[in-house]
Amino acid sequence: MEKLSQEQIDKALKILKMPADSKLVTHLNACVHCGLCADSCMYYKSMKEDKFIPARKVELVASLYRRYCTLTGKIAPKLVNARDLDEKMAEEMVDILFGACTLCGRCVKHCSIGVDIAYVVRIGRQMLAAMGLVPATLQATVDAALTTGNNMAIPTEEFVDTIKWMEEELIDEMQDENARIPLDEKDKNILYTLNPREPKFFPLSISAMAKVFYAAKESWTLSSTMYDVTNYGLFNCNDEEAGIIARHLHDEVKILNAKMLVLGECGHGSRANRWEGPNYLGMKYDFDMITVAELINDYIRSGRIKLDKTIIKERVTMHDPCHLVRNGGLLNELRFAVKSAVNDFVEMNPHGNDNFCCGGGGGQLAMSEYNDRRIKIGEIKAEQIRKTGATIVVTPCHNCVDQLMQLNHHYKLNVKIKSIGEIIADALVIEK
Amino acid sequence: MNWYHWIALGALAICALVLFAHFIRLIRLGNPTDYSKKSGSVAKGVAYSSTVAMIDHKESAYLHIPTYFAGMVYHVGTFVSLFLFVFFLINIALEFTLPLWLKWILIAGLSISTLCGFVLFVKRLLVKNMRNLSNLDDYLSNLIVTFFQGMTIGYLLCPCVEAYYYIFVSILLLYMTLGKLKHVVYFFAARYHLGFFYGWRNTWPPKKVK
Ligand code: SF4
Ligand code: SF4
Repeated sequence: MEKLSQEQIDKALKILKMPADSKLVTHLNACVHCGLCADSCMYYKSMKEDKFIPARKVELVASLYRRYCTLTGKIAPKLVNARDLDEKMAEEMVDILFGACTLCGRCVKHCSIGVDIAYVVRIGRQMLAAMGLVPATLQATVDAALTTGNNMAIPTEEFVDTIKWMEEELIDEMQDENARIPLDEKDKNILYTLNPREPKFFPLSISAMAKVFYAAKESWTLSSTMYDVTNYGLFNCNDEEAGIIARHLHDEVKILNAKMLVLGECGHGSRANRWEGPNYLGMKYDFDMITVAELINDYIRSGRIKLDKTIIKERVTMHDPCHLVRNGGLLNELRFAVKSAVNDFVEMNPHGNDNFCCGGGGGQLAMSEYNDRRIKIGEIKAEQIRKTGATIVVTPCHNCVDQLMQLNHHYKLNVKIKSIGEIIADALVIEK
Repeated sequence: MNWYHWIALGALAICALVLFAHFIRLIRLGNPTDYSKKSGSVAKGVAYSSTVAMIDHKESAYLHIPTYFAGMVYHVGTFVSLFLFVFFLINIALEFTLPLWLKWILIAGLSISTLCGFVLFVKRLLVKNMRNLSNLDDYLSNLIVTFFQGMTIGYLLCPCVEAYYYIFVSILLLYMTLGKLKHVVYFFAARYHLGFFYGWRNTWPPKKVK
């Protein structure tokens, strides 16, 4: 690593020295080094290396805090392990805070004290971002979203072509010339959003949701330019960039005069918009924002769509995306949608708020340099799936879908991975 | 009052002031501003976080029952010892004699908690993971607090160690302002923030899986 300049160091330390509220100071002073969080983290569980213990991740940031922000750390650094911010430290931080944490927050719930470990890791990432030390692979994903409006840099013409193709499929399947996938239409109830993996790799999940909208007779539209629900600014932890990306969707709702923003199937994207977006922009949104799972539940509860549970004969399990369930409170909302569509549903163990991350969160899918670790930690999820005996795994997150597909292949699980939209579309009864 | 009583009183005042300053700093820094639309109840989240969440489905507890239990007993012993210290100071004026049965209950209880503290210390020293996670302050804090409980037993058994007892407690109180023992303040703040975060998002109190 190149020598850190004083300017870089100052920028990073400013984050510790000027806390916006009491949360940072609290969590940096709370860990008692009991080590009881070790078994809650899939990195430590899979690889049994001390450096992966959640408390060690907190310690990287806390030791800097002690060195530069506490009297004891300034006068007796050895006593409290107060460390200098130098190249060695920065390298360690990149490897551990970016390369060995999915920001899943599982350890947080299980910490004996209540240290928000994932939050502290994000602060550490913020410091690295301030020093310009975000891994290039992850930064490239953020840059693509900043410059093109979507993290895969899909050209608008290519996207529009895919949507037109899916619309033709929908017309064929519904045998209705009026079946539509509207683009850039104003004054609709819903502006729907996608994970760019959908138009790029899984266009059928777009037509699945279009089918659901068709059945519900929804007034909706997609944007041809600002449809990306993801926000990798949540993971590179450059809040300024995250704010610019969050603004894309906020402004598109205004431009198209939609009543509601519906967050497509993406765990971190839902979090980045629903929970963090207003904070990035420093203002309350004056329109509603819900996840697609909640929308589907509304349709089911109000009778706008009808499902036939007997269509899907296979056993189904669900993977809870961390940012929708543990960090998003949608535990039963997700279950209501899936259980309304299938008869044979089985839970993983553990599940819900205690669920293990798929292993692809925290930007890991974008950082190819950590691929081996990502697949290794995914073994926990693979074994969870295998034990259920299910042949279909549903998850309302396309990043999780991607990671689960790779686990399916690597660990020979022989299962199908589906989004909620797809499983609902499979069970949908179309009334003409 | 003897000179060591005054020293102890001074140490107590300094410790209380410093910890209070930490508390005031937290209050002044305030809550995070959250512009997102709340979907749960912060009050319920904080109430759960500060009570049931401490044992409810917590891996640090149920995967490590002996350590967690030892930690709990150790902390109870610490608070009892602190309470007794304040009582002893007040009792200089009151001159109240503790009933013998109560003395022996306290001695028995504190012996167990002292042992727990010692076991936790040995564990930190011997288990590689723990050793790599620990700094000098971790060992010192553990030792000082364990000795504090031991000294309390000693003083209950034999008032002749009074001067040593008060001097040692003074050292503990002053040390408390420097290192991890400050978590007596930050523990509660951490539970609050966690309850706030999960309560806001409707994760806590946890719902039954339907
Ligand atoms: S369980 Fe919590 S307090 Fe204990 S070492 Fe882990 S982060 Fe620190
Ligand atoms: S947030 Fe998840 S990946 Fe990161 S340390 Fe905690 S349990 Fe491990």
